[in-house]
Amino acid sequence: MSSKTLLYIVKRILLALFTIWVVITITFFVMHAVPGGPFVGEKATTPAVQAAMEAKYGLDKPLMEQYGTYLRDIVTKFDFGPSLKQRGRMVIDIISDGLKTSAKLGVIAACISAVVGIVLGAVAALQRNKLIDRVVMVLTTAFVSMPSFIMGSLLLVLFAIKLRVLPANGATPAGLVLPIITLALYPAAYITRLTRSSMLDVLGQDYIRTARAKGVSGRHIIFGHALKNSLIPVLTYFGPMLAYIVTGSLVVERIFAVPGIGRAFVSSITNRDYPMIMGTTIILAALIVIMNLITDILYKVVDPRITLE
Amino acid sequence: MKTKKLVALVLALAMLLCLAACGKKDDGSSNGSANAATPGAANSIAVCLASEPDTIDPALNSAVDGATLLAHLFSGLAKWAQDDSGNLVIVPDAAEELVEGVENDDGTVTYTYTLRDGLVWSDGEPVTAGDFEFSWQRAASTGLAADYGYMFEVVDGYNDIWETDDNDEYVNPDAKLNVRAIDEKTLEVTLYNAVSYWNELLAFPTYFPVREDVVENESWATDPSTYVCNGMYTMSGWDHNSLITLTKNPNHPDADEVTMETIEFYLSDDSNNMLSNFKNGSWQMIDDVPTNEIAALKEEYPDEFIVVGQLGTYYVCWNINEEILPASSTLTGAEAENAKAEIRNAISLLFDRNYIVNDITQAGQVPASSFVAMGLTDADGSEFYENAGHDSGFVGYYDVSEDALEGNFETAVETLKKYYTYDEATGKFTDFPTLTYLYNTSEGHKAIGEYLQSALANVGITINLENQEWATFLNTRKQGDFSLARNGWLGDYNDPISFLDMWTTSSGNNDVQFGKGDNANVAIYSLDLTPYGLDTKVENGTWAETYDVLISAIKTCTDAENRYAMMHLAEDMLMETGCLCPLYFYTDLYMLDSSVHGFFSSPLGYKYFMYCTIE
Repeated sequence: MSSKTLLYIVKRILLALFTIWVVITITFFVMHAVPGGPFVGEKATTPAVQAAMEAKYGLDKPLMEQYGTYLRDIVTKFDFGPSLKQRGRMVIDIISDGLKTSAKLGVIAACISAVVGIVLGAVAALQRNKLIDRVVMVLTTAFVSMPSFIMGSLLLVLFAIKLRVLPANGATPAGLVLPIITLALYPAAYITRLTRSSMLDVLGQDYIRTARAKGVSGRHIIFGHALKNSLIPVLTYFGPMLAYIVTGSLVVERIFAVPGIGRAFVSSITNRDYPMIMGTTIILAALIVIMNLITDILYKVVDPRITLE
Repeated sequence: MKTKKLVALVLALAMLLCLAACGKKDDGSSNGSANAATPGAANSIAVCLASEPDTIDPALNSAVDGATLLAHLFSGLAKWAQDDSGNLVIVPDAAEELVEGVENDDGTVTYTYTLRDGLVWSDGEPVTAGDFEFSWQRAASTGLAADYGYMFEVVDGYNDIWETDDNDEYVNPDAKLNVRAIDEKTLEVTLYNAVSYWNELLAFPTYFPVREDVVENESWATDPSTYVCNGMYTMSGWDHNSLITLTKNPNHPDADEVTMETIEFYLSDDSNNMLSNFKNGSWQMIDDVPTNEIAALKEEYPDEFIVVGQLGTYYVCWNINEEILPASSTLTGAEAENAKAEIRNAISLLFDRNYIVNDITQAGQVPASSFVAMGLTDADGSEFYENAGHDSGFVGYYDVSEDALEGNFETAVETLKKYYTYDEATGKFTDFPTLTYLYNTSEGHKAIGEYLQSALANVGITINLENQEWATFLNTRKQGDFSLARNGWLGDYNDPISFLDMWTTSSGNNDVQFGKGDNANVAIYSLDLTPYGLDTKVENGTWAETYDVLISAIKTCTDAENRYAMMHLAEDMLMETGCLCPLYFYTDLYMLDSSVHGFFSSPLGYKYFMYCTIE
C-alpha cells in the first residue's frame, strides 16, 4: 500500500470520527428537545417517582453536563449506559443481540443479491434483446418497483399461510428464509439492471473490440475484461446497500417478527429511551461510514487507475 | 456456441447457489413446516401476547403481558382461579388461607398469614415469610421508584415513606411498610383500614415475592440463568425480542394440577404477523388482531375469535379551562362555568355510540353512559355502572340506546340554543367556537375522531383533528394543552376508586385539569357527606375543597355501603362537569385455537395457560 493511500485512509478515518461526533451531538440535543420523556406513560407516576427515576439515571442534571458525561463514557469506556425502558439491560447488549440477527440476515441477503444480480445482469447483457434478456428485465422491473412491505406480505401469505412450508416468525432459523428473500429481491433486481447496463457499456468499448480483433477468446473477454470493469457501478451501490441492509429493515422485521436492530431503533424513539436512541444511532452511523470507506478503498482494487486522495 | 455453453454454465451455477442458499435453511425449514403443520405437541403451547416485556421483575412490571408471565412464574399469597362453575375467584396460593383482618384500636386492620408447606424457589431454597416482607418493602420503596409502588398505599406506613416537604425531599427516609415476618412461615401486615379489594391486591404481581440475594443483581430479571422464581413455571429460555420459554416447575406444591408442560411466549408487536402465525397454526393463542381484520375474523373464525369484557372506558375528555362560550356571551363567573358544564353535557348527547361500536370499532365494545367501567362491582355485588346516574329507565347518565338517539339530539340542540345562535333554515349553530380534537396517531382513534367531527358538523360545530405521536401526545394532554382529547383508562383492580382518585387536583392523570389553572379558583362545587356519617358539608367550594375531600373520605371509609355510595357521588360530580364524555367500555379480544381447552383470562386481561390441554 502506498503512503498516499495510507494517508488517504487515515484522513478518511478522522473524517469518519468527526462525522460520528456530529451525529452524536445533533441526535443528543434533538432527542432531548422532543416533547415527552422516558418515564411518561398512559398512567402517570407521581412527581416523586418521576423525580426519583430521573435522579437515578442522571436526567435531572443540566443538559450540557449530561452531554459531557455521555461523550466521556463513550470515548473512555465505550459505555452506552443502561436502557431506560428495558430495566436491567445494557444498551450495548440489546444492540448486539439485534445486530447479530440483522447482520446475519443482511449479509446473506446481500451475498445472494450480489451473486444473482451479477450473474443475471451479465447473462442479460450477453443475450441482449433475446428472450432471456426480456424476461430478466420484466422481472427485475417488477421487483425494483415493488416495495418490501408488499413483497414481504405476498411471500408471507403464499409460503406461510397458503402453502405452510415456511414459518411466519423469525424466531427459528427457518423463519429467516422469507425475510432474507424479501430483503434480497430489491437489491438483486437493482444489481441485475446495473450490471446489465454497465456491461453493455463496457462491451461497446474500443478495448473490447481490440481484444476481439486480436482473437482473444470470448470467455476471456467477458471474465477478464468486461465483467470486472462493469462492476464499478455495482460496487458503488453495494457498499452503502450492505450497510443499510445489515443495520436492519424495520418493515421486514415487523412483517416477519424478526428480532433485529431495526425494530429496536424505532421503538427506542417511541419510548424516548435516550441511551438506546443514542446507541443505535451511533452504531448505524458508524456502520454506514465504515461501509462507505471500504467501498472507496475497493474501487482501487477493481480499477487501479483510480487514485485515492 | 461457446457463449451458449457459458450461459448455461453460469445459469446452472446461479441455480446451484440459490439452491445451496435455500438448501442450507431447508433443514431448518422442515422444522418450521413441521411446526406450522402440527401446532406443537399436546403438552406444549405457543402463544403471543405482545413484544418484549419492558421488565419481568414483579415489583417493576406495570404491563398486562408482563403480568401474565409473572402469574405463571410466581406464587403470591393469593391467585386468580376458576371455580367449578367457571367463575373467576381469588384463592389462596402461597398462603394457607386468606384470613380475615383484625381491627386494631386505632382503626387499622392487621392480617396474619401462614405460608404453605413445601414452597421452594426455583433454585431449591425454601420460600420464607421474610422473602415476602423484603419484597413488599422493596416494591413500595422510594429507591426502587416502581410504577405500581402505589399498590401498597393501603398498607400502613406507605404514606410516611412517600411524604415529602416543600422541597420535594422525603420527610421520613427510614420509614417502612407495617409488614413483618414473625417467623419463617408467618407474615403480618397492617392496613390503614379494611379494604374490600385486599385479597385481589395479594394476587397482583407487585405483591409477588422475590429473594434479596437474587435481586441484588440489577440484571437478574433479564436472563434465565439468574431468574429465580417460586411459581408453577420456571423460565427455561429467553431469546430477547423473540421468545420466552416457560417450563413446568415439578417442585411446586400444585404441580399436579398443572397440565401444560411448556409454554412458549413468542414476542411480536405486529398484529398482522400474529395473525399470520395463528392462521398457519404455529401459535395457538394471540392477544391482538389487526383492527381492519376484525369483521372478517368474526365471520371466518366464529369460535376462535373471542371477545371478553375488560375493566376500561374509552372516552373523550375536555380541558375544563377551554373557552367554549360564544364571543358575544355576557355570562361570567359561576354562571359561565355552569353554562359550560351544561354545554359539554349537551354535546355528549350528540354522539351515536352504537354506530361507533358497531361500525367503527366492531369488537363487541359496549356503549358507555358512565365513566366507571363495566365489570366493576358495587357494594352489593351488582355492576357498579348499572347503578350509576340518577334516572330510572336507562343505565348511566344518559340513554345511549339506539331509540334514544333522536330524543338526545333534540335535547342537546334545545340546550345549546340557550347559548348559541341557531339558524333554523340550515339547522346549524353559527357562533360555536372552532375546537380541536387531539388523538394519538392510530387508524382506530382517527376513525373515531372523524366520526365525532362529522357528528358535530351536523349542528354546525367545527372541530379540527390533530394527531400526535404517542409520547408527545401524552405530554400535551397531561399539560392541558388541548381543548378536546381522546382518552382511555383501564382499572388496575376491581374497585371503582381506581377510576375516581385519578381526578383529584394533584393527580398526574388529571388530564381534564380539574382544580388547575383558571379552574383552581372556580367555586361552584358542593359536597354534603352528612348522610354518610361525616360532618363535611361544603357549598360553592373549589374542586380541591370538594372532590379531593370526597376522595380522601372514600379512602378512609370502612363502611362498604357508605363507601360505595360516596363513590357514586364522586362519579356524579365528575359527570356533572360534562368534562368526561364516555364512548364505550373496552373489550379484550384475542384468538384462541379451538384445540385448546382449560384456558381462562382475568378481568384485568391476564391470561392463564397452566391448566390448558390441547386436543
